[in-house]
Amino acid sequence: MVILLPLAGAMACFLWPQRGVQLGLVSALGVVACVAVLGWQVVEQGAQRYAVGGWGAPLGIDLYADGLSLLMLMVTAVVGLGISVYSSGYFNRDKARDFWPLWMFLWAALNALFLSADIFNLYVTLELLGLAAVALVALAGGADALTGAMRYLLVSLLGSLFFLLSVALLYHSFGSVDIAILAERVEPSPAVWAALGLMSAGLLLKTALFPLHFWLPPAHASAPAPVSALLSALVVKASFYILLRLWLEIFPLANAALAQLLGLLGAAAVLWGGIQALRQTRLKMLIAYSTVAQLGYLFLAFPLASIIGWTGALYMLLSHAAAKTAMFMAAGNILRFGGHDRIADLDRVVQRLPLTVTAFGLAGVSIMGLPPSGGFIAKWLLLEAAIRSGQWWWGIILILGGLLSATWVFKVIGYAFTQSGTPHESRAVPVSMEWAALAMALVAILLGLFASWPLVLMEIGLPFGGEVAG
Amino acid sequence: MSWNAGLPLLVLASSLLPGLVIFFLPEERVATRTSLNLAGAALKLVLVGVMIWGVFHGHHYETRLPLLPELDLVLRADALSVLFVTLSAVLWLATTVYAIGYLEGSPNRSRFFGFFSLCVTATVGVALAGNLITFVLFYELLTLATYPLIVHRGTEVARRAGRTYLIYTVAGGALLLIGTVWLYTLTGTLEFTARGFLSSLDESQHRVLVIIFVLLIAGPGVKAALVPLHGWLPQAMVAPAPVSALLHAVAVVKAGAFGIVRVVYDVYGIQFAASLGVTLPLAIVAAVTIIYGSMRALFQDDLKRRLAFSTVSQVAYIVLGIAVVGPIATIGGLVHLVHQGVMKITLFFCAGNLAETLGIHKVSEMNEVGQRMPWTMVAFTVGVFGMIGVPPLAGFISKWYLGLGALDAGQGWVIFILAGSSLLNAAYFLPILYAAWFKAPADTWPAERSFGRRETAWALLAPPLVTALLTLALGLLASAPFSPLQWAHFITTLEYAP
Amino acid sequence: MGAFYYDSGIRAVNATLSTFLLLSVPGLPLLLAFPALRSRLYWPCYIALLPALILLTVPMGVSIELPWLLLGSGLGIDGVGRLLLAMSVLLWTAAVTLLHTAKGKTVDDRLTTFFLLTLAGNLGVILATELVGFFAFSALMGYGFYALLVAGGDERTRRAARVYLVFLILADLALFEALLIAAATTEDLGFEAVRQAMAQSPSSTLYLSMVLAGFAAKAGVWPLHFWLPLAFGSSRPAMTLLLGAVPVAIALLGVVRWLPLGETSLPALGLIIQGMGVVAMLYAILAGVERAQLKMLPAYATIFATGLFVTTLGTGLNDPAVWSRQGNLAYFFIVSLGFGVAVLVVTIGWLQARYHYPAKPEKKADDSSPWFERWPSAVMRWAAQMGVGILPRLRAAWRAKVGRLRQVRAWQRILDGCERSLQRWTFAITLFLLLASVITFVMAFVGVSS
Repeated sequence: MVILLPLAGAMACFLWPQRGVQLGLVSALGVVACVAVLGWQVVEQGAQRYAVGGWGAPLGIDLYADGLSLLMLMVTAVVGLGISVYSSGYFNRDKARDFWPLWMFLWAALNALFLSADIFNLYVTLELLGLAAVALVALAGGADALTGAMRYLLVSLLGSLFFLLSVALLYHSFGSVDIAILAERVEPSPAVWAALGLMSAGLLLKTALFPLHFWLPPAHASAPAPVSALLSALVVKASFYILLRLWLEIFPLANAALAQLLGLLGAAAVLWGGIQALRQTRLKMLIAYSTVAQLGYLFLAFPLASIIGWTGALYMLLSHAAAKTAMFMAAGNILRFGGHDRIADLDRVVQRLPLTVTAFGLAGVSIMGLPPSGGFIAKWLLLEAAIRSGQWWWGIILILGGLLSATWVFKVIGYAFTQSGTPHESRAVPVSMEWAALAMALVAILLGLFASWPLVLMEIGLPFGGEVAG
Repeated sequence: MSWNAGLPLLVLASSLLPGLVIFFLPEERVATRTSLNLAGAALKLVLVGVMIWGVFHGHHYETRLPLLPELDLVLRADALSVLFVTLSAVLWLATTVYAIGYLEGSPNRSRFFGFFSLCVTATVGVALAGNLITFVLFYELLTLATYPLIVHRGTEVARRAGRTYLIYTVAGGALLLIGTVWLYTLTGTLEFTARGFLSSLDESQHRVLVIIFVLLIAGPGVKAALVPLHGWLPQAMVAPAPVSALLHAVAVVKAGAFGIVRVVYDVYGIQFAASLGVTLPLAIVAAVTIIYGSMRALFQDDLKRRLAFSTVSQVAYIVLGIAVVGPIATIGGLVHLVHQGVMKITLFFCAGNLAETLGIHKVSEMNEVGQRMPWTMVAFTVGVFGMIGVPPLAGFISKWYLGLGALDAGQGWVIFILAGSSLLNAAYFLPILYAAWFKAPADTWPAERSFGRRETAWALLAPPLVTALLTLALGLLASAPFSPLQWAHFITTLEYAP
Repeated sequence: MGAFYYDSGIRAVNATLSTFLLLSVPGLPLLLAFPALRSRLYWPCYIALLPALILLTVPMGVSIELPWLLLGSGLGIDGVGRLLLAMSVLLWTAAVTLLHTAKGKTVDDRLTTFFLLTLAGNLGVILATELVGFFAFSALMGYGFYALLVAGGDERTRRAARVYLVFLILADLALFEALLIAAATTEDLGFEAVRQAMAQSPSSTLYLSMVLAGFAAKAGVWPLHFWLPLAFGSSRPAMTLLLGAVPVAIALLGVVRWLPLGETSLPALGLIIQGMGVVAMLYAILAGVERAQLKMLPAYATIFATGLFVTTLGTGLNDPAVWSRQGNLAYFFIVSLGFGVAVLVVTIGWLQARYHYPAKPEKKADDSSPWFERWPSAVMRWAAQMGVGILPRLRAAWRAKVGRLRQVRAWQRILDGCERSLQRWTFAITLFLLLASVITFVMAFVGVSS
């Protein structure tokens, strides 16, 4: 139901392009409602497992929902709703005709991905996701966007290919693609090593972990604003989700050195992304590099490997999704309003878009990890995990990353207060776009004030249960 | 939610809500904005009054909201927080009146007053914080809320000052955060407790505790402008006068000093801190700050810069009072928290008046200004003498207790620091007075605005006069019940009781 | 019973009256110091003196406790206090008259304010019954007098005033330290209690030296006298008239009130003080003869008199018994000093007006200050050197260091290059990196299982 509704929406939008906006919004609301129902169910009854078509594992397609996937669904729903509202004002009629079906399609893929219980399913949804995303990037038109899209397509296909290879290897070895069954059967052998190596590498590429991040900034920066928001907030997170799932369930045999390696790459990403973000002269490029840095944070949880660490990383994911969406939306508004996003010339624009700047600022607070915001809670948890496990150096990376992002956020915000010269001609920005950005930023802030509820949610079905024993 | 649990929240909301509403007010609705501001300030004052009464009679005000699974957001009114909350509430009212007069007709007022209210909210939150994480939360909020105020003018200089401010404070906040988390992993609690909650920890962890102490002091130390972390303060002078006044007297600098008080008393416990051997270095840092700040102030021609360096020096008194371990010095430090606020805000109001009415920014332009603006300069004079510590003004009381406390604790060297600082204070303040009252006047003022028969607008004149009167009253009536001095006595008996 | 009620009623009335009266002695001048409050009054300065005059007519000693004031304060008057008060009232009346006649009917408004402030301080000091009150009022008096000197004076007086101010601040610091020592010794800061407590205290020598140094600076006792001749040289007779009564006499009063005289015996210190007093007298005589200028005469007379006082003080410290027997004479000495100086000033003023002495060319030494007078400016110069010279140099060094750090940008540019090249050969690099990571992972897994 969660999957089918956006799919149906996509079809509907495709069939009746004139009514795309209304249909899209209606189905977005529908999905949110469905997720809410599912959430209620999970909270009441614990983790859920459905066998689609009544076949059941190991042969059929299983859907599985625990706290982790529920949370991902929810964040997708919230961000998706925001993006839908935003897009309703953003695209003109032509673009809208293409956008809405693709976007609904992507949403369906995402939901399916988060609910999948076997790795082949994961592959399929991942592939669907990638294709939809590439199409969306290309939507902007123009040489930049096309290059970006092509590069993205290439990367996406490569990553999926590696993933598929490893799925085949695993299926060959153990005769199943169901995660739970695999977790029971898996045992060290060269085939498994190769499979896991391939799989991880593919996913890392898709998650854009440093130094495999190079494709991300151009793709994200050249896409239309809602699409950039979508990519940054949700699409890259999907592959991280897969990695996390596999890591927690199938990889318990992975050793500490590997975890440290991932952490190291994460740390490098935090610093590299931060520094590169500072060097950018274009707002959207800057935000895109900040995504690279923020993704690095997620990987810091691997060496920490404690419940607090995982929770922190997940919380980072949530708040980053909301905050980054808000940021890209704000950037979109600015771009729409002033016709450019050169940081040095921002002052004339931002002063006349107070709501947008507020949204940017609030999102920035979360990205920097200053209280009160989701980013702060996440940072607190990660820091606590780092110190508790005696690996304080990760904590220092966290703090440094925060300082770097503070620097660039305020570099932008500072222009909101300078006295502007002559204002140049501008295009009006629809109210819905401004408020959507602000609402997303508020979500990021509220995540910091009401942290206990999502944290409880994460515990459902004990996704990190294995760690307690280990 | 019962009344006792809701009151701290109400105190917070009385400035938060007007602030949020003001953000969305159109620029032209001056009357609505003004009345919202004043109503919020007055309401806060009333609520704080109720709170004082309640705390004195042993009521327990505490708001507790879940933040993380085992950590709550706690707002609690104890004797110490009430001291600071009262100061904030009183001076906020004065500053609001002043700011309304000061910014009349200038652009972006809704934004300004919105952040202004937010800033006070954060300050009150810092004051009411009942555990370290709540403190951190509001402390960072304060950083964020103050930035727009500092860059309000929007000039290139302002932006640079804002950047400096951020670099310092965000870095300081990061240190504070590390310290806090570290402490949490050691103890599992962050609740402020009278006489600290760390003394039960194992002997082997004392080295770590010292490092954490450094982190926890360095964080607020940035805002309290302890040398060498003071660099942002003189630069932040580009802010409009009401902001500087609030910054120096209540909000940022005081929040830092207050944080240090909290860390020393309610996290470590003064006796435990002394046994760790961290108080003497702290006292030395404070002493160096006092002397260094005064030395730098001597050579500033810009009036507000001179005042800023004077703040650097004066706020360190508070830290000194705490670091000289002993009940009497503590009274001195705590009472200076209030006294310095009242005196310094007077001085900044006056400096703002000079700038706004006559366009005077430099000491060298102040010749004979006492003739043109007698009331402003009377208030300024009172403030200056208070700062030097001339009896019977407020500054004398603080210095008296600081000196006496140092003698009491057997740290005679502090006396010399106090004497040297008084001397330097006199050396950089009295020439201003001399110029203002006795030197031959300049032909024209840099940029004079006429206010008819009055020397300046009433909204600009009333606040400094009121605070100057307060300076006098705080000194003269120091022994009256409910004076800050008596309240500091009250707090100290709690901290040092057996 | 009725008598009792009557009695207590009287007492209550009495108490209220004396509170009111005592408070108004310094309070009324303070109030009138506000121009707005006295603008409708004729002769505000005389009115300000009225409460003191009334107090003088009250035959008995009165005193009140003001626990809410400052750190717990009090005001009161006793026999000697009355004497001093009488002197002050008389001299101030004279000064007011002179002030008015000097400038005709239109007295500078500001000058009147300073005048009244100083007056309030002066009267308050005499009435103070404990150290803090004394200190507070004497601060008011001191700064007020400084303002009086500066506001009404010529360049010469201003110079005197500046020197006076420096001494005033230093003196207040010393006295503040002394106060702290006293407060650390005893809870009660009444004169009598302090005298008794300090007599037994181990830190009495320190206390004694601080008090002496402080008040010596205020009174212009040799060798801290530089400002006195300068001030006497000023042209305002009203000011010079007060010089003896206000700073000098009150400072000597302070010495008598604060020190545990007649209770402690400190022979060594006493001897030194005695010696200083004698030198002071000699100096006064020598300098007086050297700079034989009629106008300067009161200055050197004052220095001589204070020298005499100091000598007596030294004697008193040497042999407490002498002081206990003759100590009360000190008050008379102070009073007569105040009067004496005033009389001298008036006489000389009259003489000058009458005969118009040809002004002798002033000696150079008079204007250029001796070396020991130059140290405050030397300190300032040194501090300026510190602030202007050394700090910027340090800062420059720091800047240079930062500048070197800026060159970090060079390798940041290299990093930029890396990033760009990463994006250029997308396909090749992707493949390469992927393979590399696959190999790493596989190695890692192999590492686990082996």
